[in-house]
Amino acid sequence: MRDGAIFARAGLPAVAIVTEAFVELAAFTAEAVGMPAIPRCVLPHPCSGTGDENLARVAREAAPGIIELIEGRRL
Amino acid sequence: MKLRATRHQAPDEASALELFHLREWTDGLPVIIPTEARVESMLAGVELEPDIIVGQIGPGEATVEKIAINAVMAGCRPEHFPVVLAAVRAVGDPEFDIDNMQSTTHGMGPVIIVNGPAREVCGPIASGWGALGPGHRANASIGRALRLCLMNIGGARPGHGDMAALGQPGKFTCCLAEDEEGSPFPPLHTSFGYEAEQSAVTLVGVDAPHSVMMQTNDDDPEAHERILRVVAGAIAIPGANNTQIGKGPVIVALNPVHAGVLASAGLGRDDVLDELTRRAVTPSATMRGWATKRRIPDGGGDLPALRGPEDIVLIVAGGSGMYSAVFSGGLAGSTHPVHAPVEFDFSCELPGLPPV
Repeated sequence: MRDGAIFARAGLPAVAIVTEAFVELAAFTAEAVGMPAIPRCVLPHPCSGTGDENLARVAREAAPGIIELIEGRRL
Repeated sequence: MKLRATRHQAPDEASALELFHLREWTDGLPVIIPTEARVESMLAGVELEPDIIVGQIGPGEATVEKIAINAVMAGCRPEHFPVVLAAVRAVGDPEFDIDNMQSTTHGMGPVIIVNGPAREVCGPIASGWGALGPGHRANASIGRALRLCLMNIGGARPGHGDMAALGQPGKFTCCLAEDEEGSPFPPLHTSFGYEAEQSAVTLVGVDAPHSVMMQTNDDDPEAHERILRVVAGAIAIPGANNTQIGKGPVIVALNPVHAGVLASAGLGRDDVLDELTRRAVTPSATMRGWATKRRIPDGGGDLPALRGPEDIVLIVAGGSGMYSAVFSGGLAGSTHPVHAPVEFDFSCELPGLPPV
């Protein structure tokens, strides 16, 4: 979320990616950095350590939504 | 209900609190003033006479009443009280060697592990995210109640009854539940002969938890080996009593991911204990550069940090991810893990209590 805020402040389109277990924390952090509306994409938890095949599947499924968020076609 | 404790007078709660600090009846933090009504409410949930002796802590007899007073002071609700009683009962087991623990210069303290339905009925006692950290009332209050008993009944005052050279924050409070639902292994208390549907506390005298990081990967066929190596390495770190002396109980708290990786590799609870015991060793040549309090054989070989798998208390707890923990043992191996049943019957409404 903090990286997302840094990119957004630099004028670059940004989407923060968080896993389900960190959704509340993400909202808190976004509020704390003064950018509560930073777009975010929620992935299943856990992601890390779940193997290349699963990570590729998660990425494939999440990518279209991330692009929509970056292009501003979805909130 | 006849209470035997000496009554003290104070004009108001703030003055009473200052009296408690002045008399050294607290752990340094404010306490709830144990008025007669509050102590009676604490006692209402257990069918025990106040003067029954639950255990001996050093010079002090831990009666139900004295334990209830300290539970009030710690901030417990009556639902928590059966766990506090069980913890004090366990501490009184000679196998625990509480007198040695109270007076050692090591910074060890008791950790309370709760299994069975008491985790919810007497809590909720947290087992997941931050279970050992701040923010969980039952965990904080139950562990603190035991500490206040050790101080106020057992006389553990820093520099007097408690000779810990430095101490550690876990001595304020240290209580958690096992994440039985997230564990692939049978619950800890079944290792001691309890049925899974019974409730029990396990008490272990140990140092502060030492974080163990291991990012696993489902593609890694060696993941379970890495976890075992790193956890065993954390048991046998240079400064631990286990390494310097070669014995003492340790707690290994695996997060559900690490536990799951080990189970997926076909390892059961006993297998994990055996593997960790086998790996928690230090080569003689290395040990010569580290230790002065253990005999190092001339012939070389590895020196174990544990007497055997019985020195490990294995639980599953914490949020899922890459962090587990090891709590090193204390004393010269004279303390052993102990346990006691948690007995409760909250079929009646507890009188005089504000609603949750």
